[in-house]
Amino acid sequence: MNVIEIKNLTKTYGKARGITNISFNVEEGEIFGFIGPNGAGKSTTIRTLLSLIYPTGGSAKIFGKDCIESAHEIAKDIGYLPSEVFYYDNMKVMDLLKYSASFYKKDCWKRIMELAEIMDLDLNKKIDDLSLGNKKKVGIVQGLLHDPKLIILDEPTSGLDPLMQQKFFELLEQVNKKGATILFSSHILSEVQRLCDRVAIIKEGQIVQVEKISILKENNHKKFKIETKEKISPAFFQLAGVNNVEAHDDTISFLFRGDINTVMRKMAEIDIVNLWIEEPDLEEIFMHYYVKEA
Amino acid sequence: MNIFLKEMKAHRKSLMIWCAGMILLIASGMSKYAGLSSTGQSLNAMLEQIPKSIQVMMGMGTLDLSKATGYYGVLFLYIALMATIHAAMLGATIISKEERDKTAEFLFVKPVSRKSIILIKMLAALMNIGILTIISYGSSLLIVGGYSKGESVGADISVTIAGLFILQLIFLVTGTAIAAVYKKPKKAASLSAGVLLAMYLLSVAVDLNDGIKGLKYITPFKYFQASDMMYGGGLDTIYILLSAAIVVALFTLTIVFYKKRDLYL
Repeated sequence: MNVIEIKNLTKTYGKARGITNISFNVEEGEIFGFIGPNGAGKSTTIRTLLSLIYPTGGSAKIFGKDCIESAHEIAKDIGYLPSEVFYYDNMKVMDLLKYSASFYKKDCWKRIMELAEIMDLDLNKKIDDLSLGNKKKVGIVQGLLHDPKLIILDEPTSGLDPLMQQKFFELLEQVNKKGATILFSSHILSEVQRLCDRVAIIKEGQIVQVEKISILKENNHKKFKIETKEKISPAFFQLAGVNNVEAHDDTISFLFRGDINTVMRKMAEIDIVNLWIEEPDLEEIFMHYYVKEA
Repeated sequence: MNIFLKEMKAHRKSLMIWCAGMILLIASGMSKYAGLSSTGQSLNAMLEQIPKSIQVMMGMGTLDLSKATGYYGVLFLYIALMATIHAAMLGATIISKEERDKTAEFLFVKPVSRKSIILIKMLAALMNIGILTIISYGSSLLIVGGYSKGESVGADISVTIAGLFILQLIFLVTGTAIAAVYKKPKKAASLSAGVLLAMYLLSVAVDLNDGIKGLKYITPFKYFQASDMMYGGGLDTIYILLSAAIVVALFTLTIVFYKKRDLYL
């Protein structure tokens, strides 16, 4: 079942680019990455889903209901963490969370305490006095306190220190295991790689690709670096699927894509001192999409 | 209910300051009367020397300044200005502040429709202006009564306060409508105050220049003038209907526009 269905969604602001013809689905129970450089249209898409702004074309459904007509109905089961958190000044963290909880017809108190404990958040502080990272924590607790079925996170990790990020990811994995679907927008590739099952890559307002993380990585090159006793000519590795051969003194490196056995057999013919075979990280895969057409 | 309480709390301090300001205005205004009235009958004669344009600007018109109610009638213009400025700014702020303070992404993703949020906010604003009206009414009765030397003031004050409340309503929805239509949340309140000032200046211009008398239907300040309402004049039916039409129109405009437009994030 699809929790989010986006169909040809378009949003234009005057002449400025917004998003064009965006379509993708997010299935129930998955952690879906939404990734692209700054200004690609991630926040625009998310805000349209939440009917904070209205599309100029296309449609989107959440839980099978139109996200504009049924906005306040579906909002019951959505938790949202905006990219920049702003709250009412002069409020204590506790008061804000209570206010937030008062919109949902259930008792969220226990969950608030749990989440505050996990995120190490002081409930008695005034929101004005909090640092960026601590405000973000308030946002996280605020977005999760009503046990939403769909969690929408827009650049959630900015401002969090690595330890907190780690705890936050564990928390997300936990709620995901309990059944929550997560839409995770980010421009940081490693966190998407760590967390998500599938990703949509957005660039200049258009979806470039929707793919499983595992397949994205499979389809890609492996990096070979070989140290040999004697210098070998780059011509030695002229095989199908070999690219970017570079030879420096006694090391030779290249990218390979295809049946790994062919390279291994070729390598067996030479005297090897040392060998490195690396998976490219997502960074390199995505750079391909980012840079294209630039 | 939670939004309503939140709004009441958020505006509590500013409402208290406006109320204190109102009491101060009435008290200090009427204390001048005490000083002037001791000079006796010469007061009216002296005032006749003042050029008409100045008289109009100060709202004196045809009022008998030797009486406490007459003096209150002059003061009413300033009471009305103060109360309507409050109403216009409150209306604009209560709608635009979620966007101005960037809390819109908090409030408008909650399971409450945009229309309900706006209705509740307007209700809270109505409560605020209602409280200011009651404070104005109460302090006018007490303070003017104190200077009246037995002259009955209740009826005259009641009718002007009724007019005042309608004026407040008009400018409240003017503020909300401007905030709903205008896309720059930071400027909604000052634009509302600007519109109000323009209306006031127009009402002065109408008084000064008979040639543009027709324009009196445009500025609400001409609808409920103390000199017309007091001494049995009452509220003019045409103006009440006109006010009702304006309030309904701007109220509808607020709801329709705010519901349909993109939030400024």
